[in-house]
Amino acid sequence: MSLTFCIIFASACGVVLMRNPIHSALCLIVNLVAVAGIFAQLEAHFLAMVQIIVYAGAIMVLVVFVIMLLNAKQEEGSYSTWLIGLLAVVSGFIFVDMVGPLLSEGFPQSASATDPTVGTVEAIGRVLYTKYLFPFEAASILIMVGVVGALMLAKTDKGKQG
Amino acid sequence: MDPVSHYLILSALMFTIGAIGFVVRRNAIVAFMCIELMLNAVNVSFVALSRHVGGLDGEIAVFFVMVVAAAEAAIGLAIVISLFRTLRSVETSDAAGLRL
Amino acid sequence: MELLILAVKAFIVLHVALGLGAVCTWIERKGSALIQDRVGANRAGAYWYPSNPLLWPIAPFIRIAGMLGIINTLLNDAVKALLKEDFVPEGTSVFMHALGPFMAALPVFLAYAVVPLAPDFTIFGYHVQAQLVRIDTGLLFILAMGSLAVYGVVFAGWTGNNKFSLLGALRASAQMISYELAMGIVFVTLIIGYGTLDLYAIVESQQDGWGINPLVHPTGWLSFIILFIVGMAETKRGPFDMPESESELVAGYFTEYSGMKFLLFWLGEFAEIALFALIISLFFFGGWHIPFVELPEGMWWAALVGHGVLMAKVLFFCVLQIVIRWSLPRFRYDQLMSLGWKGLLPLSLLNVMVTAAIHI
Repeated sequence: MSLTFCIIFASACGVVLMRNPIHSALCLIVNLVAVAGIFAQLEAHFLAMVQIIVYAGAIMVLVVFVIMLLNAKQEEGSYSTWLIGLLAVVSGFIFVDMVGPLLSEGFPQSASATDPTVGTVEAIGRVLYTKYLFPFEAASILIMVGVVGALMLAKTDKGKQG
Repeated sequence: MDPVSHYLILSALMFTIGAIGFVVRRNAIVAFMCIELMLNAVNVSFVALSRHVGGLDGEIAVFFVMVVAAAEAAIGLAIVISLFRTLRSVETSDAAGLRL
Repeated sequence: MELLILAVKAFIVLHVALGLGAVCTWIERKGSALIQDRVGANRAGAYWYPSNPLLWPIAPFIRIAGMLGIINTLLNDAVKALLKEDFVPEGTSVFMHALGPFMAALPVFLAYAVVPLAPDFTIFGYHVQAQLVRIDTGLLFILAMGSLAVYGVVFAGWTGNNKFSLLGALRASAQMISYELAMGIVFVTLIIGYGTLDLYAIVESQQDGWGINPLVHPTGWLSFIILFIVGMAETKRGPFDMPESESELVAGYFTEYSGMKFLLFWLGEFAEIALFALIISLFFFGGWHIPFVELPEGMWWAALVGHGVLMAKVLFFCVLQIVIRWSLPRFRYDQLMSLGWKGLLPLSLLNVMVTAAIHI
């Protein structure tokens, strides 16, 4: 199909196949930026930007940081072959289950509204602050809880004397 | 713009790769990254379908998935760090203290 | 034809970025010499008396440029960096080591793609936008590129494979992430104030009034001051240069780089200084508008004049940043962090509230 699809596929494989965690992280960064490209292709410009800011710019920086601080080594040793075989069968089944209906009957083409104003920041903001106001506020509380929880988990006891 | 089924196939591929990685990889951080991969697969199909149907609800859902992913990253990595503190390892197979 | 225009525009935008970086390098060299009461670079080319008579007409200009240090900064430094050994520390990934400078410089140059450099104009019947791409989320794009710039620092510091590099990278990335928050919130103020994320529309809306926006916009001055401080912190310069404090960390995260890779860090840093000067003059100081003067719309010469005016403003802010960098002592690290988290962040949040209350 398009180049973006190939990049996404290759980098997703890279995340799983790379032995060094930092290389996996690098592949995932490429993948996330390419997904942002897919969003832009689908005219969801706001989401494309948020994808880069939040995923590539914040979450992955955190992941890279943790990899570096823990100095995670390369995974060694091989995996048992029957486990891989079982996984291949199961995941193949799942994949066919997900994709099969699309291929056999084709995706029902509804009257696709290609309104150019749909993906803009203004439209998303309007919906977010009217229809989805409560989930939005709940999400802010979730973030708050996440921050406090992360602090509680990661802080050392040495801080108590200070 | 490709037809929506292409995006859905891509999303399914990404999700499957992420699921395999989550089960196969023993490094907790890589497993975490595979979860992010799966979440992104879902995001792709959300946006593609939202564009296909012509509403904004799918895009809002992606927004919330991102919020949850951010919170999850903070917590998940804090767990990895405290795991490393007690076990001196981030391998999931080493964290078997509760196994019978 | 469309493609040709796009290619020419990409070429011009890239060279504006590179040119601003080069000019900033020269201002830094000579300006720091001026501030420290030194002479600075003044030798290379200053005694150029070629024997070939064909070269005599240009020789005096080269000699003057040499005396001003232009030859030294723009030619000799670059050639020196090209000819230097490309050193890679032992026991590190060569690929990741090479990736560091690219990841540090690439986002900065990408961010130039959405910045308008002059008003739109018509030439030979073609309507040309003096901007590589005009997306309706230009403001967010700059923010996104700013958040990607952290990777270069982190990879560079980690692959340096020594403690100085790693400490520098940790300081730099923590600093960049902390100040990015304040930057994002200042951008929110701007979005509320201007009602759009399109950079071109933001500049055009400053046409009325004096072209100096903070005087019109009530909370603009505060936003400007916060964004200026954040800009200095994001470029890791001025009083915020803890990450590369040479007295304790050699050179911080790029200690282990030499030759062209080192130059790429250098160029990326100066291009980022110019980028912040550019967005400050676009957001707050009317971009290409001249106070009290109305330029005719759509004329190519008006676009050229507008571009000159914009570059004058940009150079002013570049010089201001460099003067501050060479006159103030370095922050202590806890002071730096408390300024970011306890000073600028609450201040910018307050600013958002006041702006929202005004624009309600």
